[in-house]
Amino acid sequence: MISVTALTKRYGPTTAVDGLTFTAPSGAVTGFLGPNGAGKSTTMRMIVGLERPTSGTATVDGRPYAELAAPLRTVGVMLDVRSAHPGRTAFRHLLAQARTHGIPRSRVDEVIALTGLEAVAHRRAGTFSLGMGQRLGIAGALLGDPGTLILDEPVNGLDPDGVLWVRDLVRRLAAEGRTVLLSSHLMHELALCADRVVVIGQGRLLADATVPELVDGTEGGSLEEAYLQLTAGAVQYRGGDVR
Amino acid sequence: MTVTLRRVVASEWTKLSGLRGPAAIVVATVVVSGLLTYAAANASSVDPGFDPIDSLTAGLVLAQVGPLILGVLVGTGEFGSGTYRATFTAVPRRLPVLAAQTLVTAAVALVTALLAVGAAVVALLPPAASRGIALDLTSDGTPQVLVGMVAFLVGLALLGLGVGALLRRPVPSVVAVVAVALVLPIALVLAADAGTDPMAGAAGSTSLQDTVNTVVTLLPSGAGALLATPPGTGGVEGAPDLGPWGGGLVLLAWILVPLAAAAARLRGRDLTGSR
Ligand SMILES: Nc1ncnc2c1ncn2[C@@H]1O[C@H](COP(=O)(O)OP(=O)(O)OP(=O)(O)O)[C@@H](O)[C@H]1O
Ligand SMILES: [Mg+2]
Repeated sequence: MISVTALTKRYGPTTAVDGLTFTAPSGAVTGFLGPNGAGKSTTMRMIVGLERPTSGTATVDGRPYAELAAPLRTVGVMLDVRSAHPGRTAFRHLLAQARTHGIPRSRVDEVIALTGLEAVAHRRAGTFSLGMGQRLGIAGALLGDPGTLILDEPVNGLDPDGVLWVRDLVRRLAAEGRTVLLSSHLMHELALCADRVVVIGQGRLLADATVPELVDGTEGGSLEEAYLQLTAGAVQYRGGDVR
Repeated sequence: MTVTLRRVVASEWTKLSGLRGPAAIVVATVVVSGLLTYAAANASSVDPGFDPIDSLTAGLVLAQVGPLILGVLVGTGEFGSGTYRATFTAVPRRLPVLAAQTLVTAAVALVTALLAVGAAVVALLPPAASRGIALDLTSDGTPQVLVGMVAFLVGLALLGLGVGALLRRPVPSVVAVVAVALVLPIALVLAADAGTDPMAGAAGSTSLQDTVNTVVTLLPSGAGALLATPPGTGGVEGAPDLGPWGGGLVLLAWILVPLAAAAARLRGRDLTGSR
């Protein structure tokens, strides 16, 4: 379970996350939604200790991430496509991560097979396409067989086959009792794989509900419609009219 | 299966040994050391009072660049790419990563330095043989010179690591370390020469010269020169002769200050990439 309590992050004059409180329970996929710049990635970076909150706390299974003795075994994280050194092979990148925890080489081969990267495992990550980088990130998140997964836009850049695979994967992980927090802008996709959604805008909580609760309370009856109504006042970057 | 320093060291070794850059640097350093030493010894082998040992440290001027860049590569490798996210989510206490990088860099630099100094010794053999001189590595403080050369090269790699880890960007880091280690000492000496009017010979210009010599001695290259000079014969005119141990301490300060600053930055702040 992930618990975020009164979490706030300021960058100089910008307030990226503003008193945010929510929980992502175990045994469920929690979709993390909000317009561009709403603070989703910032919240995720604070949960895993890459950034320090200005105030508030974030815990995983009741403990701050930095205090976990074997973080990769507790939490799997995929925050950005480009998280491997371009000069290092996918295999080496995963092996280096595995070695910090004494995770065996056989597990590295397993996650490579699981994410369909066998053919390119010994190619330098700098030559990877967007989708291949995404698969490598997911492979890294699965390395420690963690009880909690934090995935920032995991289907971004994946081919239809990959999207379907991620959907099945997160559904299965949640069915096994794990916690999945997953951000995405793809409402149709989230409607298919999320049990609940946390919607934020300008760093603040707009909704925290199950998907049926949200959809049933909206006329139009779709997650996309519910999302658009919720965030109408919180969109910071809006395209112009197309004529 | 918890995170231990030993495991973080294994991880950092996996990272370093999986890149082409560092391997190329090791080879280049050894080759440059051998070739430059050979060229210097060969040129002076025509002198009547030729002693091959005098050319032993001639290759250091350029060979020092390799360890510096090796250190910078390790120090900036995390932040120049997005690797830091994978690394520091695996090791959220952060400082063990810098400690492991220090150990791994020191180990690779030690092997490089031993090979480079070995190449310099081998490079002295043909010029010495051409004059019928047998190379003697055991007398006149030569063993200390050999150890000093190795310590100097390892020290520079750690200086590069500290600066790289502190600045996090490869280009500014390389510029900074090359400026401090190579350009500054030469530029200062040239500037002092230009500022000294050879006609005047006044006391004021001598004290300028002394100040410059003191500053140059306190730069990494000056400290390295002291390390690789037998005691009592070292030191530039007008600058205090700190001896090999003093030179070692100066170099140690050049390593510890950037590393401590990098540790403070790593520990206290948000981790964001350099691009
Ligand atoms: N390191 C930083 N320095 C300054 N501002 C930052 C930094 N990181 C994020 N921000 C700002 O914080 C706000 C939230 O950004 P964040 O990346 O968390 O949004 P997001 O919800 O993930 O958006 P997207 O859907 O586009 O990925 C934005 O205004 C962004 O410009
Ligand atoms: Mg984002």
